[in-house]
Amino acid sequence: MEHLISPVLLYGACAIGALGVLVALPRERLTPAVFGAILLAGAFGALVLGLGFAAPDQVPNFHFYIFSLIALLASLRVISHPRPIYSALYFILTILAACGLYLILSAEFLAFALIIVYAGAILITYLFVIMLATEGPTADQVEALNEYDRVAREPVLAAGAGFIVLAALTTLLVGGSTGLKADPRLMPGDTRLAVMPQKVNDSLRAAGLIKGDEGVIHIEKERRWGITPRRDGNGTLYVADKNGLGASTRLIPQAQWPADLRLSNTEGVAFSLIDGHPGAIEIAGVILLMAMLGAVVLARKKVELDEAAKAQAQRHARLDEPDVAGVTR
Amino acid sequence: MIGGTLVTLLAQGPIPADMGGVTLAHYLVVSAVMFVLGLVGFMVRRNLIIMFLCTELMFQAAGIALIAFSRFHMNHTGQTFVIFVLTVAAAEAAMALALVVLLFRRKETLDGAAWRELKG
Amino acid sequence: MTHLLSHLASVALAASPPAEGAARAAAPVLGRVVEGPWTAVLIPGLPLLAAVLVALCAAGRVRSKLPAWITVGCLAGAFAAAVQTYLAVVHQPGLAQGVRVLEWIHLSWGEKPGQSFAADFGLYLDSLTMLWMLFVTGLATLIALYASEYMAHDLGAGYNRFYFAFALFVFSMSCLVMGDNLILLYLGWEGVGLCSYLLIGYFYKKPSAVAAAKKAFIMNRIGDLGLALGIMLTFVQFGSVRYAEIFEAAAPYLTLAGEGRIGEIPLLIQLIPVLFTVGAFGKSAQLPLYVWLPDAMEGPTPVSALIHAATMVTAGVYLVARFLPLYQCSTWALPIVAWTGAGTALLAATIGMAQFDIKRIMAYSTVSQLGYMFAGLGVLTSAGAAYHVFTHAFFKATLFLGCGAVMHGFAGQLDLRKLSGVAFMKGWGIVGLAMLVGCLNLAGFPFTAGFFSKDMILAEAFASPTYQALGWVLLFTAGLTAYYTFRVFFRVFIGPKFYEPGDELHAHDDHGHGHGGAHGHGDGHGHAPAKAKATADAAHDFHPHAPGWAINVVMVLLTVGSILAAYPYLISWVPGLIDASSARVIEVAHGGEHAHGTFFGYDPHAVMYYVSAIVGAVGIIFAFVLHFVGRTGAATAKADALLPVFGPLARWAQNKWYVDEFYNFLVRVPLLVISHVLHLADKLLVDGLVDLAGFMPQAAGRGLRRQQTGALNGYAFGMVLGVGVIAAIGAVLLW
Repeated sequence: MEHLISPVLLYGACAIGALGVLVALPRERLTPAVFGAILLAGAFGALVLGLGFAAPDQVPNFHFYIFSLIALLASLRVISHPRPIYSALYFILTILAACGLYLILSAEFLAFALIIVYAGAILITYLFVIMLATEGPTADQVEALNEYDRVAREPVLAAGAGFIVLAALTTLLVGGSTGLKADPRLMPGDTRLAVMPQKVNDSLRAAGLIKGDEGVIHIEKERRWGITPRRDGNGTLYVADKNGLGASTRLIPQAQWPADLRLSNTEGVAFSLIDGHPGAIEIAGVILLMAMLGAVVLARKKVELDEAAKAQAQRHARLDEPDVAGVTR
Repeated sequence: MIGGTLVTLLAQGPIPADMGGVTLAHYLVVSAVMFVLGLVGFMVRRNLIIMFLCTELMFQAAGIALIAFSRFHMNHTGQTFVIFVLTVAAAEAAMALALVVLLFRRKETLDGAAWRELKG
Repeated sequence: MTHLLSHLASVALAASPPAEGAARAAAPVLGRVVEGPWTAVLIPGLPLLAAVLVALCAAGRVRSKLPAWITVGCLAGAFAAAVQTYLAVVHQPGLAQGVRVLEWIHLSWGEKPGQSFAADFGLYLDSLTMLWMLFVTGLATLIALYASEYMAHDLGAGYNRFYFAFALFVFSMSCLVMGDNLILLYLGWEGVGLCSYLLIGYFYKKPSAVAAAKKAFIMNRIGDLGLALGIMLTFVQFGSVRYAEIFEAAAPYLTLAGEGRIGEIPLLIQLIPVLFTVGAFGKSAQLPLYVWLPDAMEGPTPVSALIHAATMVTAGVYLVARFLPLYQCSTWALPIVAWTGAGTALLAATIGMAQFDIKRIMAYSTVSQLGYMFAGLGVLTSAGAAYHVFTHAFFKATLFLGCGAVMHGFAGQLDLRKLSGVAFMKGWGIVGLAMLVGCLNLAGFPFTAGFFSKDMILAEAFASPTYQALGWVLLFTAGLTAYYTFRVFFRVFIGPKFYEPGDELHAHDDHGHGHGGAHGHGDGHGHAPAKAKATADAAHDFHPHAPGWAINVVMVLLTVGSILAAYPYLISWVPGLIDASSARVIEVAHGGEHAHGTFFGYDPHAVMYYVSAIVGAVGIIFAFVLHFVGRTGAATAKADALLPVFGPLARWAQNKWYVDEFYNFLVRVPLLVISHVLHLADKLLVDGLVDLAGFMPQAAGRGLRRQQTGALNGYAFGMVLGVGVIAAIGAVLLW
């Protein structure tokens, strides 16, 4: 089959990327995260360049490169930074960059929802927990790191496994999506215009297609509005003045419709969500409720320290306050 | 309104049909790389919180792929699914973090290896 | 008295030969059924109702004699219904009457004839049916009454269970006898088998009872297989399992047989009665399937009397009689029936001579008499066979119930060497008298019912030129029968008074009830108080308790019945009934001279009375001399002196000719060997394979267990590797 990128370039780039990850992962002595980042960026650049060469007719969008690079490099730091707080902050950066990609993909509702929910709510929770669940720094070791944060486990094996998965995934991606082109036709959500007379009226009025008392008519017999958008572009819509059906009824073909007479992304998502997946919404609501209850129940539970932890806690107490030995925190 | 402006600015025109000059494969490659980074992170990190963060990273990667497909197929269902992914991620984060807090209270450490005896 | 007897004899002789009686006129119309009286439904219905009610009693843990009274009442109702139905049936002689109770099985797989299968819960009422149902319901009522006292020691324990099985038995028996199709007959056939199994194994804590129940069930299964095959073959050949349609379809063959052209009948048609015969031999305990019946005496005695002497075991005779038209269409079926019956009669009689357990002697005598009945059917005197069934039902029930009374009173003692002079003990007169009447009947003493019925068979055997030898066998058997019957009577019921109680003493007292109070009999002692030590002490304190009113009333009624059973002979009642039913014997044209056997030149029908009377008297005299004259104790008699004369023969007979051991060697040993071999194969091969299947995951798990470190990252690595491999396979396929 036809391939967008030559295998050498593809797997070379994957290998370089894996090497970059391997270099960037935290190690006992030296962690040249910057080199790793450069290697990963180079690998990604090679992949995207390969894609660009494969389809030279498509002008690359500058913002795409910026956002995707930021997202990937921030992701790299999420997994490689030895301090959990920084990892979380880099994750926020990743999300912001991903939101940029969402905007390019004209999913503005989700972009902002993501910022609010993810960067705003979930990540703040993470930060709280990180702060809650970290041992307090001792007086002489303010900058001390936990051993389990400082050293990655089996980075070589993990990078190898990651390379295999990435190579396989990209092979499937670039091999399978060659002939796929975007569908230029009316989005199915736009047929929902038929139930949105107010939006249609506003749009028509702003475009000067109707004046005065005119508006979209309601066909009583068929119990629907006189708006018939069609995916092939041959839709129609009827307008008349306030007096209703009569000599003043006019037909506006879809070709004459103003360009902005289409569903906004938010409206489309709303229709898809509420109209298309009502049951799933209910289930999601129940899941969230249960999660909330579960979190409350779990966090309220009083936990007994096990033996080793008790001994450690006592040791800490003695070190901190040698005069009052035996007093536990 | 700001969103609309931003979209117009970034996407060079009102709702282009050609995905802003970038093919679907571009986004999928970004998504795949991010996903694998999450995978690798989950494997190498020992801090429970970071491991959960890595799963969130994988969610994000999936989200990007979903949105790209949604745009590509001009179908809002992909975006709807991202909302559900968001829901699950939020629920999972709530539960997982509550568990992490519990585990930390018991052992005073976040090292996943501290719970090896749970293997049974 | 002498005058009366001679009058009776003259009447009896005048009526002979019975086969040529006036009843010949009413030939049955086979294959036609008219609407019968609805009361017939009550005959199976009331016992079923009784079974249901008794089951409810059992569920309600009733501890009184209520189940007995329910059963007796319902059975008496059934008997009344049987009498009513009988009157309606004989009102239209020769016509079978049908009552369809409910639709049962209706299958159809095509439009053509033979492509459908119908078996309704319907009743087929003709005189043969009613003859059977009269004595079945009548005797069942009496024996249920008897058992109300006999089983009283089990009140609250097995009493309900006993009466449930009892009532269910009567229901099954009526299905068997009254069903208008073979499927219903088979249902009843299996039903009586089940009830027999349940009742033989009634004392299920006794290993021998359990073994006997199993033996009976398995032996019957062998026979039932034959019956089932016969039913299937019948359906295949005649396209129906309903009697009326079978007889209609068989009519041309019967005509062929009547013209002496039996060879032209298709072999498969001739095979049907042979298969039926297998079933009949299993149920009616004939060679080679008879061995279960003697062991069936492990059940309570009323059961032995009703099921294993009077009714169920005659189901085979009924089957043969019902399908006599088919039997007459077969070259081999009737000779098989005749010779097997005669052989069984002789064998069982020889075994019975050498036994010491009186109930077992009665069991072998039942087998022997059943052999007589089959021989009678085989020599084509279905009337004689049916009459013998009828008389035998009465006198054998009397004998069994007498033995049961002895067993009941002497704590399970049945050994004739340990009892003597029972009839002279206080309160035992009625039983002794009843036993005398029963024994006279069984021995064929002149002018008793048994005498007449046996003579009908003997005479017909000698009258048939081909069965002369069979006649001699039966005659010899009659002598043996008289001997062993009176051996029991002379040793147990008269002579010096002596008894040694059986070993059920403890069992009885463990039940914690006083027989004396319960029965209110004369001596006022009740049971001896339980002693820890066995017979010696217990025997010293033991007082036999004479039967109470229920047993005595039934004994009297049955004795009277046994005596009166001779009367129907005088009026040719049974031949009339039989000739009006499907059991009628067809006239076979012999093309010219009608061969007729003679007894030393005399007409057997005329002289057989004298011959058999003499033979029976000789048997009784032998018994008298050997077992009564000069006997001072119970344990020994003059007969013991004869033992060396017979040498091994006597020992073999005592050991039942080693038939059980032979079957054991023939069937059980090979089966055991095969099953051991198969067990080994199963152990090594099948289990080995299964174990291997279990071992492989185990071994794999043992190897993989080390990979389970408990570290999350390790599991994640495994998952990623898995995903990677799957994705890589996809990529390679796509490449």
